[in-house]
Amino acid sequence: MEGLKVWRLSSSIARPSNLRQLFGLGTSSGLVRCLDNGAAAANATNTRFPSRNRRASTSTSTSTNTSDREAVRAIRLKKVEQLRSKGTEPYGYKWDRSHSAKELQEIYKDLNNGEELDSESHHVSIAGRIVARRAFGKLAFLTLRDDSGTIQLYCEKERLLNDQFEQLKTLVDIGDILGASGSIKRTEKGELSVKVDSFSILTKSLLPLPDKFHGLTDIDKRYRQRYVDMIANPEVADIFRKRAKIMREIRKTVESRGFVEVETPVLQGAAGGAEARPFVTYHNSLGRDLYLRIATELHLKRMLVGGFEKVYEIGRIFRNEGISTRHNPEFTTIEMYEAYSDYQSMMDMAEEIVTQCALEVNGKLTIDYQGTEIQLQRPWRRETMHNLVKEVTGVDFTELEDDLKVAKDVVLKAVGLGLDSKDKSSIEACPSLGHLLNEVFEIFVEPKLLQPTFVLDYPIEISPLAKPHRRHAGLTERFELFICGRELANAFSELTDPLDQRARLEQQVRQHNKKRAEAVSVTDGTGEQKNIDEDSMYEVTLDDDFLTALEYGMPPASGMGLGIDRLVMLLTDSASIRDVIAFPVLKISQ
Amino acid sequence: MDSFVSEPRPASYETLSNNVLKRERRARERQVREEEKKKVTTNKIPENQRQQVANDDTMDPTQFLSNRIKSLALLKESGVNPYPHKFDISMSITEFIDKYRSLYVGEHVENTEISLAGRILNKRSSSSKLYFYDLHGNGAKIQVMADARHSDMDENEFCKYHSGVKRGDIVGICGFPGKSQRGELSIFPRSLVVLTPCLHMLPRHAITSNSDEAQSKKKTRNHSWTPGITRNPETYILRDQETRYRQRYLDLMLNSEVQKIFRTRAKIISYSRDFLDNLGFIEVETPAMTMTAGGAAARPFITHHNELDMKLYMRISPELYLKKLVVGGLDRVYEIGKVFRNEGMNLTHLPEFTMFEFYMAYADYNDLMDIIEKLLSGMVKELTGSHKIKYHGNGFDSEPVEIDFTPPFRRIDLIEELESRANLSIPKDLSSETANKFLLEACEKFDVKCPAPHTTTRLLDKLVGHFLEETCINPTFIINHPEIMSPLAKWHRSKPGLTERFELFVNKRELCNAYTELNDPQVQRQRFAEQLKDRQLGDDEAMVLDESFCSCLEYGLPPTAGLGMGIDRLAMLLTDSPNVKEVILFPAMKPQD
Repeated sequence: MEGLKVWRLSSSIARPSNLRQLFGLGTSSGLVRCLDNGAAAANATNTRFPSRNRRASTSTSTSTNTSDREAVRAIRLKKVEQLRSKGTEPYGYKWDRSHSAKELQEIYKDLNNGEELDSESHHVSIAGRIVARRAFGKLAFLTLRDDSGTIQLYCEKERLLNDQFEQLKTLVDIGDILGASGSIKRTEKGELSVKVDSFSILTKSLLPLPDKFHGLTDIDKRYRQRYVDMIANPEVADIFRKRAKIMREIRKTVESRGFVEVETPVLQGAAGGAEARPFVTYHNSLGRDLYLRIATELHLKRMLVGGFEKVYEIGRIFRNEGISTRHNPEFTTIEMYEAYSDYQSMMDMAEEIVTQCALEVNGKLTIDYQGTEIQLQRPWRRETMHNLVKEVTGVDFTELEDDLKVAKDVVLKAVGLGLDSKDKSSIEACPSLGHLLNEVFEIFVEPKLLQPTFVLDYPIEISPLAKPHRRHAGLTERFELFICGRELANAFSELTDPLDQRARLEQQVRQHNKKRAEAVSVTDGTGEQKNIDEDSMYEVTLDDDFLTALEYGMPPASGMGLGIDRLVMLLTDSASIRDVIAFPVLKISQ
Repeated sequence: MDSFVSEPRPASYETLSNNVLKRERRARERQVREEEKKKVTTNKIPENQRQQVANDDTMDPTQFLSNRIKSLALLKESGVNPYPHKFDISMSITEFIDKYRSLYVGEHVENTEISLAGRILNKRSSSSKLYFYDLHGNGAKIQVMADARHSDMDENEFCKYHSGVKRGDIVGICGFPGKSQRGELSIFPRSLVVLTPCLHMLPRHAITSNSDEAQSKKKTRNHSWTPGITRNPETYILRDQETRYRQRYLDLMLNSEVQKIFRTRAKIISYSRDFLDNLGFIEVETPAMTMTAGGAAARPFITHHNELDMKLYMRISPELYLKKLVVGGLDRVYEIGKVFRNEGMNLTHLPEFTMFEFYMAYADYNDLMDIIEKLLSGMVKELTGSHKIKYHGNGFDSEPVEIDFTPPFRRIDLIEELESRANLSIPKDLSSETANKFLLEACEKFDVKCPAPHTTTRLLDKLVGHFLEETCINPTFIINHPEIMSPLAKWHRSKPGLTERFELFVNKRELCNAYTELNDPQVQRQRFAEQLKDRQLGDDEAMVLDESFCSCLEYGLPPTAGLGMGIDRLAMLLTDSPNVKEVILFPAMKPQD
């Protein structure tokens, strides 16, 4: 607002010729708006009260704060009016910063205690949120925080124009966003400060910030109102800065190797490329159901058919599944495909990406994750699934005959004692030797893979898109990367034979439909068992167009999918996926 | 292209003296030339070969497919995997071209061993011992000259193997580089192996007569498309639009320009990222599925989360979440991501599209006009080498227009310009009945169609479309929209009733929308309330109240300016694509019957 700039001492932008006019208009429309706002705010408050009360009644931790909040809000709304009545717009338009707080801290780090730099060349301008405040008779100290860090505002009454000091004391609250300019001073106590000669309220905040000790214990609220979390805990914002750095580093790493970024559709006629329950939506003008993608794989492979040799996509994937500290219904992956390479070369790529990101974010390859020291120095261990299972359980699957029943007995005999009933029944339910191997691997080996490990050569039964192993029948050229007991990446030499691919996908559809039919009959019989197999109640269809594309020929290739959220968790030492997703999906609040 | 011309056999006997070699070569060259003449007059292809190529060409596609499947089955039976696991390439085709483009005509570098791979898109033979292929990969192309005399196979094997190689097959080649007598850079294989057979017959250029074909080839060769100049999809090998979009892989495979469109698109995005990263912005990700669909006026897609038993909307804009992050202390953020709108499809609209949005604390819409001017003019210059581009703005049937991105872009004030162009004096209070009546009459007077409901916003929008947007061929900022049209924009600091907003129009279409962000929570609530009125009048594109956003504003959003830009539309301009489906790899299509 121009009026605001007049009021500031150093107005460089206001043009005097139309000032009066602007001022007049600004004030009158401001007043009208205030009146309107009063009515609107009252309405809004009325309609909002029920929900606030409801929350208060169920959540004891915030019940005492609610009335405080409303009281604070009312007081601050009065201040908004007061400011406007003085011709000051409490929601400014713009502020030209000369420095960030961090830049000032760097530039003046050698300034001695008590020293001041008052010349024109040390005149600076900054902006940020007020996070602490102490006021004395003719002196006030405010702590201002911006994107980069904090700095103190040193405010003396006689240095400020007119009644600015009074305004500072009466109208500025913690939480307000201020722009301030002045000279540089380090206080006797050693605090680098901007000695303010003018300031303006850029944004009047209406709600109090949560206090450090109570406000943030409510984890649910931290995720729901991420911005409050970020204001109160600057280190939370750091996670998102690091996330951005990781994304940038991944792109840099793959693009320097000639990969091209592409975008494939989110809304699809059939959701393929993985086994997961998809989200369904309806397109009005097409008049048909559409599925949200559960993987980018099948479309990226079409790009290889089209003649791109190195492509990648970083994008959102959607799976209609439960939420946990490791799962959010939407998450971000990078999937990359390279013609004329195989899964061996993808292992190098995985090592390269993860170590580059670790160096960029942490500056070193030994990192701490939730108390465990992780060594990311290359090369990482590469071991077959068979050998790992043998190492941990003593069961050598290569020696087992094709008899599934016998195999299960051998497994249960070897490891049966350590099993809870759930694991036991999932072992008994395994439909094939490959499934059994994988089940044993998941139960016994996965949690032990803390240090980076490539698990190689998965059974064909659980790898419908991977190429058969060039030497070992029944296996595929596939690896998964595990760090801290979690799967971080999944990759294969891609299956390029269209006939083999069709057979495997048809088999997958058949298996799914069988499960689905069983689930239906179960729910028909006894209504209470409804939840048992609801997981398989969705439809799986064959992606015929993908198979046609393969018939036109896809070059030998390898591909990898890497979970970016999990990588960010690892590199920022975050326990939950909700810590690395700015606005995670949460249960509807009661 | 060396169609049907046999090549001299390179000197491979190092023991022979140079003179002998030269003599031999000359003799061979003479022979070749004579053969060549003969061929030109006798329709080029030896009888037996012509037969075979013709067979493949005229064969029924289903027959072709089943023949190939049969031969694959035979291979598998004999223990050969027709889909090898890996082929080590020593360089890409592009690298090969860069490295050997300066060979002189006729030069062969026989002591070098190179391995390349790619797809064969043309196969010619002058005898059963000499085959020519065009090898394509990653948008580049070279010739393969497979001569039985260079091959590791014996002659019979060679003939047999190469007669089984089909157009469309992906092959790996080990051989040496050289240039043909015609100056065509080639690889001369010692070995050639099919890595992936193509089971289908590939479409061919539809032009029938030979002279036409030669001419059109000449044309397409001279006209190597780069961003900023016009394209002509009529010259494509695969022209059927439906097939091009539904089977994009065929489009990419056969129409060499199409890969460049998507490489250009990737460059547009990475240029934008680098530009903002250099200004200290950070890239963030906000949810694509949300509890309320806010930030824009559009019909959302609805879906359902089973386990949480929760209705979710696909985002129609990332705006409100991005502003929440600015409240949280991230002063400069951007997101490039998919946005979804459950609306009809046409030349410029698809249900999912890519949006680029950025928010900058302590800046206003004037700053953003400068920034976007710099971003776009710099990008156009970088990608095209100039500030001016040619664009078939009215479809490929009409003449292309020239669009000039030289900064600064024209700026016109919405109300002022509308009043002066239409010679109107619009009532100042746009929320009044009088204003609504006035605009309705204006629309009738100028025969500007506006379907019901006749809200003031919609009437104004139609008039602006008619009088202002039509004039915006070169990039033009239309600025200072009325408050009623802009529920999330801040009221203008000096013009009552208006906002600090701009839309950037290029070739009569909106490319960007930006404003100084409304950060007064009370005014924001009031604007939502006004939107509700329009909704009740039947305008289902009016914005809905987002309570969590309003309460976020109460914690204080610093003065901020934000901008949204449609990446697809920008890609359309820079790739001469009048249809948005040209720039989206797998566009949504109507279901096939």
